[in-house]
Amino acid sequence: MRAASLKPLARLMGRELLMTFFLLIGVSVVVFVILYLAPGDPFSVLLEGEMPTEAAREGIRQAMGVPTTWYSQYFAWLGKMLVGDFGTSIRTGMPVLPELLRVGWNTLVLTGGAMLVTLLVAVPVALYSAVRGVTLISWPLTILAYVISALPLFWLGYLVLYVAMRHFGIFPFAFASLGSEPKLIYFLLPILVLGLGSGAISEVVRHLREESSRVLDEEYVRTARAKGASVWRHAFKEGFLLPVTAIMATKVPFLIGGAIIVEQVFNWPGMGRMAWQAAQDRDYPVIMAIAIAAALLVRIGTLVQRVVYVTVNPRASQE
Amino acid sequence: MSASLLKIDNLRTYFYSRSKRAFIRSVDGVSLAINRGETLGIVGESGCGKSVTALSVMGLITATPGVITGRIDFANGTLHRNLLDGLDQSVRLSEEEGRIMDVVKDSGAWQRQSDRLQRGVRGGEIAMIFQNPKASMNPFEPVGAQIVEAVRLHTEHTGKKEAEQRALHWLERVRIDSPRLRFHNHPYGLSGGMCQRAMIAMALAAEPSLLIADEPTTGLDATIQSKIVDLLAELKAEIGITTLLISHDMGVIGRLADRVAVMYGGRVVEEGGAQQVLAGGEGNHPYTRALIASIPGAAEVRQKSYLQAIEGDVLDTINIPAGCRFYERCNRVTEAVRERCADCEPQLFDAGSGQRVRCWLFAP
Amino acid sequence: MKRFRQRPGEISEFSDLPLWQKADTIDLLYVGYGLLIVSLVVASYLLGALQWLPHDPNALNLNLLLAGPGTPGHLLGTDFMGRDLLTRLVLGIQAYFLPGLMAVASALFGGTVLGVVAGYRGGGAGLIVTFLGNLIDSFPRLVLILLVIAAFKPDIWYIMAVIGISNVPAVASLVQGKIAMLREKNFIEAAVALGLPTRTIIAKHILWYNCKALLIIQATLGMAEAILMETSLSYLGFGVQEPTPSWGNMVQSGANYFLQGNLWPSTAPALAILFTILGFHLLGDGLNNLLEGKRGR
Repeated sequence: MRAASLKPLARLMGRELLMTFFLLIGVSVVVFVILYLAPGDPFSVLLEGEMPTEAAREGIRQAMGVPTTWYSQYFAWLGKMLVGDFGTSIRTGMPVLPELLRVGWNTLVLTGGAMLVTLLVAVPVALYSAVRGVTLISWPLTILAYVISALPLFWLGYLVLYVAMRHFGIFPFAFASLGSEPKLIYFLLPILVLGLGSGAISEVVRHLREESSRVLDEEYVRTARAKGASVWRHAFKEGFLLPVTAIMATKVPFLIGGAIIVEQVFNWPGMGRMAWQAAQDRDYPVIMAIAIAAALLVRIGTLVQRVVYVTVNPRASQE
Repeated sequence: MSASLLKIDNLRTYFYSRSKRAFIRSVDGVSLAINRGETLGIVGESGCGKSVTALSVMGLITATPGVITGRIDFANGTLHRNLLDGLDQSVRLSEEEGRIMDVVKDSGAWQRQSDRLQRGVRGGEIAMIFQNPKASMNPFEPVGAQIVEAVRLHTEHTGKKEAEQRALHWLERVRIDSPRLRFHNHPYGLSGGMCQRAMIAMALAAEPSLLIADEPTTGLDATIQSKIVDLLAELKAEIGITTLLISHDMGVIGRLADRVAVMYGGRVVEEGGAQQVLAGGEGNHPYTRALIASIPGAAEVRQKSYLQAIEGDVLDTINIPAGCRFYERCNRVTEAVRERCADCEPQLFDAGSGQRVRCWLFAP
Repeated sequence: MKRFRQRPGEISEFSDLPLWQKADTIDLLYVGYGLLIVSLVVASYLLGALQWLPHDPNALNLNLLLAGPGTPGHLLGTDFMGRDLLTRLVLGIQAYFLPGLMAVASALFGGTVLGVVAGYRGGGAGLIVTFLGNLIDSFPRLVLILLVIAAFKPDIWYIMAVIGISNVPAVASLVQGKIAMLREKNFIEAAVALGLPTRTIIAKHILWYNCKALLIIQATLGMAEAILMETSLSYLGFGVQEPTPSWGNMVQSGANYFLQGNLWPSTAPALAILFTILGFHLLGDGLNNLLEGKRGR
């Protein structure tokens, strides 16, 4: 019995992995097309380095056999990426990948923490209003979630900075080398700002509230109640686990986008600051690598959600 | 000790329609009693309040504006409980001319009190099966696990292995085919008929003293329907469980019920022994007669003759008329009673041998 | 505590109250507030376009730097160069009104066309729309915009084009879902059986009767996103450039004085953004509840 039910599950997982693979190929095509269309032939620069003159470029091309057609350029670039060569930064002249991995970790801490903050705030509000409907408690909470989501993220960041500096006398730059030890709160403040201000809260509230109140009205949940069993034990999967993972997976890109702003405000050395610097300098090897890395993170988030979905939902194999 | 296992007294269950800003009087003053060991059938067209009555007993009316008043007394052994006890403390009603027009309700407190009253009763003492069995089973869990849960919650078989044995025993008992396989199946792998058998197994696995079957055959194929009815009849003979059977299908009621109550417009219009009520003759309420006349007999089908439909629409449960609720559609009004029918609602008059009829024709 | 009251008099069971009577007061408030914001935005755009402004937006007043709200002559005070904040707020709409509209219009148009094709044809076309949607959603919007900025140039039209294009799959999948739902109810089969031409079914029965609400809601949300995105980019230095005012660069330039305790020049445009975004979101929510119907509770 068990073994038989594992097989379709493995097939479903395989399908999800294949889908992720195709999407990552698509991601690379999109990035390539944007850069290929850009003025200044960035791809040639990427593949062969900066050349002083057009004549020198021609010479190098012939000597090294650098690809010049669009498809050979694409495959050459893709091939290099697959072995971990994302090129060198135009600004610093250093290879992109080691630097990206170093700052990527900081961004993961920031976005992961923010995700937790979002859930800790949004889930209770959503469940409360799903069970009770619009009440004198749930309505102001919902509106507050909307208000925070509608504020410009960096303004919220500045406000927090202002309050921290003016009223608590602390300079919450977690990575600043001011001689003093970084304290936990220095890490917490940016995470709080991103978690509260990224706009994810109001969407999580909305989605989870609708889904869980729909599921609480389902006939099978009524059966659970009629049985004297715990309603939430039966409603948990469809009314909580699936909607939460679904909405959080769609919020990953928003959190990464928000991280660019928050990293800027709090001087947090992550992928976002790196992307900002690269866009300033038109340092396309770097920004391309970041775009690919960000898309990879998003796909991983979605993959986790899909895996949860097919594991939990026995009907998934029928879709 | 009274013979009644469940006694419903003047139950009123109202809903509130937001889009009309008005109350829908689904159940409007129903009194019923179910005696130990008998099967009470409730019949009526859809919208007459049958299912809402059952859901009120189970405390399953969750839509926040639902208002429930009256008494529902459950008595088994040492357990005596009014399932609506103290609920009126979280609701304030204002009536005008005997109709509830304004309600202030603290849903949270109401729900908490209702759940407290139902503890140990719902699922354990009273179990329920529903129409649409496929949607009524948890799609995310194997069928067996759902039955095991009922066993462990409500019987002394709380050990895992033991409970699984009991669950399997019940699956065999409801004659599901290949019960061992079904035990591990998810509901989506089962047909509607199999799901209903599993639902029945799940309900009975808790060893309840009252089973409420709400339209147990509706929505199933005709052949499956009769098999489910056969199963219920068999279980009734074997276990002798007290049953509240709700159906719009006279055939099902006729097969299974000992006593029958006919509902119309949120009220019981006739009740009595199954034999007398289903006779559908002079001794019955005009509505019961019309209901029975509208069942096609084999003869009518063969001759392709017209069916007798009941004229008019089901009662508008927002604007209840002052007179008899069936007056508008009634074809048996005589000049002698017409005025009373139009202006004054009849009470349940005694029609002999335990039968009672809500019709002026039966006034002493 | 909740109150339910029956309205007096005879009530027909078979016809509902008109929309505005049966609606929740709260939804009407949301929509009312949203419409107020929309008309304020449009009015500000027109005022700016016609140059009917209380002050010259670029007139410096070095004697009145960073004045608070309520200063005589400057209702909302002045910024760090003594320029009138109200004037610059009204004028700030100019920066993204037309680009934002373009973004919304292209997302709606592209999304509708793609959604109808995918929903009506189904099969392969449906899969392609899903794939494109997943593909676009793989990129954080801001990263994609930074990529385009690095490749081309920081220009509001480029930015809005990216926002517009990247919203196409979302609209398409909503339209596609709606059509799938109509198909499930045999709505489309019924229309075909009536002998209606495909064009009429799509334009009138699918889009006009069934997708109108959905598209209006998407439009309000799209506009909100355009404003927030411009704000973020202004902060990063890629948005509308000084001295042309935009809400984003006003918050940004004001923020330089934030830590010295001059909160107002940054807060005024931040509040303008807040009230506007909130207006668009509540309008979307309220319309959704009114037109698409709320679930049970």
